[in-house]
Amino acid sequence: MSYAQVGDSRVDWEGALVQRACAGDSRAFERLYREHAGKVYGLCLRLTRDAHLAEDCTQDTFINAWKALPQFQTRSSLSTWLHRIAVNVSLGRRRKASPVMEPPAEDEEGSGGGFLLETPLEVRELETAIGALPDGARDALVLHALYGYSHGEAAEMLGIAEGTCKAQLHRARKLLRERLNMEIN
Amino acid sequence: MNGPDERKVKSLGELPVAIEPPRDLWPGIEARLKAPVATVAAVSPRPAGARLAQLRWLAAAAMVASVAVGVWIGREVLPLSGGAARAPQSATATALPASPEGAALNASYVSDPRYQRQRTELLRTLQARIEAMPPPARLKVTASLATIEHAKEDLERALGKDPSNALLQELLINTYQDEMRALTDVHEASDPGRGI
Repeated sequence: MSYAQVGDSRVDWEGALVQRACAGDSRAFERLYREHAGKVYGLCLRLTRDAHLAEDCTQDTFINAWKALPQFQTRSSLSTWLHRIAVNVSLGRRRKASPVMEPPAEDEEGSGGGFLLETPLEVRELETAIGALPDGARDALVLHALYGYSHGEAAEMLGIAEGTCKAQLHRARKLLRERLNMEIN
Repeated sequence: MNGPDERKVKSLGELPVAIEPPRDLWPGIEARLKAPVATVAAVSPRPAGARLAQLRWLAAAAMVASVAVGVWIGREVLPLSGGAARAPQSATATALPASPEGAALNASYVSDPRYQRQRTELLRTLQARIEAMPPPARLKVTASLATIEHAKEDLERALGKDPSNALLQELLINTYQDEMRALTDVHEASDPGRGI
């Protein structure tokens, strides 16, 4: 089960809030915002590496979500849906800020694994190492290893082939291993 | 980009997924949710590049309009009234610098009291001179001057939002020059001494 998938009771609770928000109840939408803002901001921040840009992306994510709420299927996960919007917004803003295209990673298999560290590391140190990764590798790593999305889900969110997503993860693992000077299993 | 968390983790999956924004973003979101459609559109304007491209087109249109006035007067009016004598003056006006370096010089040119006096004088008599023109000429000149005026207004509005934009400044100066050129052409073409 991916991180974004949640228990039935919470989905029901969220579903009721979504329905109220769909009817124009901004208080209900605020409760949804309060519930998801941290994860959305965390995702935007990791994708953009810029706190101000991440704030803008988070706001745009919720504005876009508000506008598109009538199209949201309450059977699916609101969290996944919001993350999808956040990825779109963040990648779009990032392209505008620096429209240099990164060379695509070659398709490569064998990138599975839980990204276990041989030696425990401080959160700060690990976040810095992730932040220093190239965009494509970082995007795939954040969605797969941190947010728990499958290769297919992450690839779909990023608009790339699943093989490319795996290759980017392989690249991320290799670069992290080099930068942290330790084995990542 | 990370918080002050110094605890140690053994896998990437242990990293905190949620990071609280440094400030409450909800008031900004709520304001945009409640804003009328027109205001929401204003919050997300067209990209600056697109606006600048439109303004460039406007400035180009102003220049074309000015040239149209000049060419029309040169071909239709001045041959009847010895227009060859005015060529050096027109060439001087055309030779005004259009480069970014020249824009600074042109800025002082536009704010020059002599320029302002000359422009005011030309504008004062403009309506009477236009009315003295044959109807087809009047239409052309009026349309050209309207295009120039429109370009000036748009550029001034854009500069109000981005006062330090060198390209906008240059385009505005060029448009002022185009206007001056067109006014001078109209003035000379309808000069009683030249006989329109």
